[in-house]
Amino acid sequence: MAQDSVDLSCDYQFWMQKLSIWDQASTLETQQDTCLHLAQFQEFLRKMYEALKEMDSNTVLERFPTIGQLLAKACWNPFILAYDESQKILIWCLCCLINKEPQNSGQSKLNSWIQGVLSHILSALRFDKEVALFTQGLGYAPIDYYPGLLKNMVLSLASELRENHLNGFNTQRRMAPERVASLSRVCVPLITLPDIDPLVEALLICHGREPQEILQPEFFEAVNEAILLKKISLPMSAVVCLWLRHLPSLEKAMLHLFEKLISSERNCLRRIECFIKDSSLPQAACHPAIFRVVDEMFRCALLETDGAPEIIATIQVFTQCFVEALEKESKQLRFALKTYFPYTSPSLAMVLLRDPQDIPRGHWLQTLKHISELLREAVEDQTHGSRGGPFESWFLFIHFGGWAEMVAEQLLMSAAEPPTALLWLLAFYYGPRDKRQQRAQTMVQVKAVLGHLLAMSRSSSLSAQDLQTVAGQGTDTDLRAPAQQLIRHLLLNFLLWAPEGHTIAWDVITLMAHTAEITHEIIGFLDQTLYRWNRLGIESPRSEKLARELLKELRTQV
Amino acid sequence: MESLLQHLDRFSELLAVSSTTHVSTWDPATVRRALQWARYLRHIHRRFGRHGPIRMALERRLHNQWRQEGGFGRGPVPGLANFQALGHCDVLLSLRLLENRALGDASRYHLVQQLFPGPGVRDADEETLQESLARLARRRSAVHLLRFNGYRENPNLQEDSLMKTQAELLLERLQEVGKAEAERPARFLSSLWERLPQNNFLKVIAVALLQPPVSPRPQEELEPSIHKSPGEGSQVLVHWLLGNSEVFAAFCRALPAGLLTLVTSRHPSLSPVYLGLLTDWGQRLHYDLQKGIWVGTESQDVPWEELHNRFQSLCQAPPPLKDKVLTALETCKAQDGDFEVPGLSIWTDLLLALRNGAFRERQVLGLSPGLSSV
Repeated sequence: MAQDSVDLSCDYQFWMQKLSIWDQASTLETQQDTCLHLAQFQEFLRKMYEALKEMDSNTVLERFPTIGQLLAKACWNPFILAYDESQKILIWCLCCLINKEPQNSGQSKLNSWIQGVLSHILSALRFDKEVALFTQGLGYAPIDYYPGLLKNMVLSLASELRENHLNGFNTQRRMAPERVASLSRVCVPLITLPDIDPLVEALLICHGREPQEILQPEFFEAVNEAILLKKISLPMSAVVCLWLRHLPSLEKAMLHLFEKLISSERNCLRRIECFIKDSSLPQAACHPAIFRVVDEMFRCALLETDGAPEIIATIQVFTQCFVEALEKESKQLRFALKTYFPYTSPSLAMVLLRDPQDIPRGHWLQTLKHISELLREAVEDQTHGSRGGPFESWFLFIHFGGWAEMVAEQLLMSAAEPPTALLWLLAFYYGPRDKRQQRAQTMVQVKAVLGHLLAMSRSSSLSAQDLQTVAGQGTDTDLRAPAQQLIRHLLLNFLLWAPEGHTIAWDVITLMAHTAEITHEIIGFLDQTLYRWNRLGIESPRSEKLARELLKELRTQV
Repeated sequence: MESLLQHLDRFSELLAVSSTTHVSTWDPATVRRALQWARYLRHIHRRFGRHGPIRMALERRLHNQWRQEGGFGRGPVPGLANFQALGHCDVLLSLRLLENRALGDASRYHLVQQLFPGPGVRDADEETLQESLARLARRRSAVHLLRFNGYRENPNLQEDSLMKTQAELLLERLQEVGKAEAERPARFLSSLWERLPQNNFLKVIAVALLQPPVSPRPQEELEPSIHKSPGEGSQVLVHWLLGNSEVFAAFCRALPAGLLTLVTSRHPSLSPVYLGLLTDWGQRLHYDLQKGIWVGTESQDVPWEELHNRFQSLCQAPPPLKDKVLTALETCKAQDGDFEVPGLSIWTDLLLALRNGAFRERQVLGLSPGLSSV
């Protein structure tokens, strides 16, 4: 408690100084500085109130003799009064100073003075005299007409901005850049007041003909903050303009998304989808510049976490939401695919972007082979020198979970000889960094496993032990991590689809999941599979039931 | 229902008293009761704002009160401005009490405690009084910030936000007066003319006459408009202007030419009177041979430039107004003797000047009268 009060005294001195410098915030510098400190000052006011409410009027004055001055200075700064709840907290603080029973003239004067300040906050008409006389003459009190007045002023300014935007070189109606900048500064404290929304929207959407940015960075930051905390609702076009004009805001929006994903429950794609849709980023990404920045951030995150499966899952869900949003855009406004994926061959991009739902099921195998060929070409072709080599191709591929996850399933479903193309695709997906030889080796191993699984599926009974043997060479030190993971997933797929799979499923998993990491991986796999089936409309009640049960059981274990 | 109406009566009295020195007799309990009543009425407004019969009954009661107070002629209404005001009657009462220096110390202390109880007091469905007051303070700062940091007076007065707001209020008030039948709207307008700064009033009237046909004032709670359209208000204004020649003369004198042209285009019934005035002004001028210009005899006579200005503006209006004006000028010219030579009839000179002006304008725009249009 003592420490708190010492802090408060220090802060008090600091803010007293600041307020004196800011005065009525009538210059560019004082306005900017005030805007930077609005949130902190409000915090200080809250702390002040908490301290003051415990004391009676006389004690307050003993403890903070200049408190009246501090509060008055704050009240005369319109930026402070306009911000969030500051005016309310100031009023609370002032109320703490009122003496219930003034004993002397000094105390009476103080009461009177406080009344004056309260009036100033709530009722004093700092307005055109003529307007005041007119409204009074008609019999209206400020509360009657202030909402309407504010609305008219906001709409008028918004339409001036729009005209400025459309008329460009018509100098008669031009808005001076200083005036636009001034308006943007003024919006900073008011950002969460809904009446101001049309003006904020106009400021974001309309830009004059100046080559450099006129709007103040603190304006962009304030709007972005309000959007992320859902304290303002703007149309999508305004949000896109914000992110295009102010890159740090876009980056912050992405980081905000990442934070939410990290702190939420692991391995739940449905929740990830919610967060992503909620963030408005997929719709914004329909604009290629935004897509590229977002994609870059995903790429960095992937590289930093060394290919963490959660990031891959996020990228997949994001891309899916993005493609959905893209579909909804009007055809005329659509950009060419090349602008989103500049380093990819157009044919590859086009086939990857196709929704599996749009292709008849019988053709999925064919499509996957086609994808595999195109990718292999890109990966193994050294002469074109596509940027980043195999990693870029892999990064592109993993965007499209609909296809990537499907490969193993398709391989298991067909009884025929597994096509090399698909083996290659599978090996590439799980081990992008492998050299040619290693990949070839993996392909051989996978083929062997598939063969065994096929044989097992024909036999009448399954045993967990058999499956483990097939896998495993699981204790075999030959097998590197990517191949191990691949084979695990093949087995899991098999368990889900084989008619007798449910009998041995739990045993197999118990044997497989000897570390917490692998358990999480299995959970992720099951969650992703269910999510994918749901999306693609793959109906298999038995498999689904099994997957759900396993998932539920595993989740209780971690 | 009757008890509700009585409640309204008592509250209106309370509200009227709240800005007088009588509050010095109020003790904390009285303050609390007053606020409770206000809260109750606000709740009523919220619940029954859409309910036709109840709303009408309350409105009628309010109108009764105004009639008893002698109509609007006496100045600011001490009670509630209109039915919508019930929606924030607690704020109205609170502000009046807060400002009233006559309120005793103990009562004031109690008032402040009631109004600003501090954090943690939330009402599930309604906004608390504390929130309403804070929001009012915030909106006032917003207006202040916009006014001094971004607002510029719009040269087209009818688009200026301050003017528009005043015009909207005037039209709304006229509607209320019409409904209350407290007095004929004309008398109300005349009383305003006597009380308010006249120049501003004239501008507001002009802007009101140019308002688009449907523009209801934003309310915090949505209400279905059971009223007649604001177009009625314009009719009242036109009627009043036509019936008060002194006011109309001032109207035409004080306002800029462009604005008057717009008003007359929109309300054709005004054009004959306007033209009549212009004709009168024109006839007061005589030709000064030495200076070679038309001058007036007295200082308040409208000078040639202004006359010319107004006619020029009128001639740029779309037909039928433009045609009417030209016809009127031709008629005057004919009555004077139909001279073509300048210096003999002001109407001849005006027509000449207008034609020259038009010719020059066409030149500037690249349209020569000799060339056929593309």
